[in-house]
Amino acid sequence: MRIDLTLLAPYIGFLAEGALLTAEVCVLALVGATLLGALVAIARTSGSRILRAIASVYIDLFRNIPFIVQLFFFYYGLPEIGIYIDAFTTGVIALSVAGGAYASDAIRAGILAIDTGIIEAAEVSGLKRNTVFTRIVLPIALRTSIRPLGSVLINMILTSSILTAITLNELTGTARIVASETFRPFEVYVVLLVVYAALTYLVSIGINLLHRRLNRDLASEVS
Amino acid sequence: MRYTQFTPYDIVLLAQGLGVTIALFLGTSLIGLLIGTLWGVVRFYRVPVLTEVMTFIAELLKNSPVLVQLFLVFFGFPAFFRINVTPTEAAVITLSANTAAFVYVIAVAAIQSIGREQIEAARVFGLTRWQVLRHVIATQATAFAIGPLIALLVNQLQVTSLISVIGVVDLTKIGNILNLRTLQPFIVWTVVGALYYLAAKLLAFFGTRLENRLRAHTAWRGL
Repeated sequence: MRIDLTLLAPYIGFLAEGALLTAEVCVLALVGATLLGALVAIARTSGSRILRAIASVYIDLFRNIPFIVQLFFFYYGLPEIGIYIDAFTTGVIALSVAGGAYASDAIRAGILAIDTGIIEAAEVSGLKRNTVFTRIVLPIALRTSIRPLGSVLINMILTSSILTAITLNELTGTARIVASETFRPFEVYVVLLVVYAALTYLVSIGINLLHRRLNRDLASEVS
Repeated sequence: MRYTQFTPYDIVLLAQGLGVTIALFLGTSLIGLLIGTLWGVVRFYRVPVLTEVMTFIAELLKNSPVLVQLFLVFFGFPAFFRINVTPTEAAVITLSANTAAFVYVIAVAAIQSIGREQIEAARVFGLTRWQVLRHVIATQATAFAIGPLIALLVNQLQVTSLISVIGVVDLTKIGNILNLRTLQPFIVWTVVGALYYLAAKLLAFFGTRLENRLRAHTAWRGL
């Protein structure tokens, strides 16, 4: 009945490897989710009714189906249609697709918050629609939606623990191995709980700093 | 004889899994709501040490993966406290505590949303702290909190799918079993996903109705 954390010392390197894998998955998935989210946000704010409908169906579906079910769908389903990829890639894809549904909302809010005067000014200056979008609308939208995108990232870090279910040994997976080797699951999982909480806390601090740095010229409007 | 085809009995299995998922969801949501609200009330009474401890625990539960919490309860508790924990018990404990942490945050926000002057006015009229809580705060706070609570519950319904990892035979586990037997991942996971989706939509539908009813008196009726 005593908590003895020293027995975890030999495994720190091993756990760090797992943490690194978690970080890799999350960063790749964040890039994927942002790209996908931006595309879906464009579709949702576009004039075409069909595009809007497709985008909202996508968001609705991936938000209301548990992540683990989506993950199994990809993990067992993709080989069925002849795509053989490893657990890592599957995890990144599943996290990107699920995260994209949340990221699109953040980016869409950013797009809708843009002053129409800015877009009109760009159009009057003779910029093409594509240029207006990629050079003016998206940079502003991404910049103002740093915070909501950050909470998508934090959610992603927590969700990535589910990837153990498809045999990917990220932070939770390695901890599981350590727990079964040391026979001290309580200590291992308590430490893991605190590590995840600390990790998400640090990330949220980082996001706040980034948000302030990127939006320093409009500090009074988006504080 | 090999059972690689779908049989009519699979429908019974799926229904069983859905039943377990919904029963656990309802049970843990109720317990979570009760505990979370109690925490909120403790904070309202400004109990010295207890408030800080609870805020810390709530933050820890909110910022760590549910899967790790599940492992802690299911693998850690038996090893550390020398008790027996069945998968269902572990699921109930974890999901209830997790829901409670989120409810606590919503409850605190809801209580704080009520203007100080209302509470001061009620106190001046000679109402006790309990009467203020019961007649002034509880009624308005419920109307305020119902929206976030519905969103939380829809989310928690999806979180229940994680308990399949520790061996509770819920809808996801049934999906896993059917998937391994029939080797038809697309059909199996589509059906499982659709069931979760329908459950979530049903929950959201009733939630919105309840919300409209609770907010009826503050709704804008027009001139």
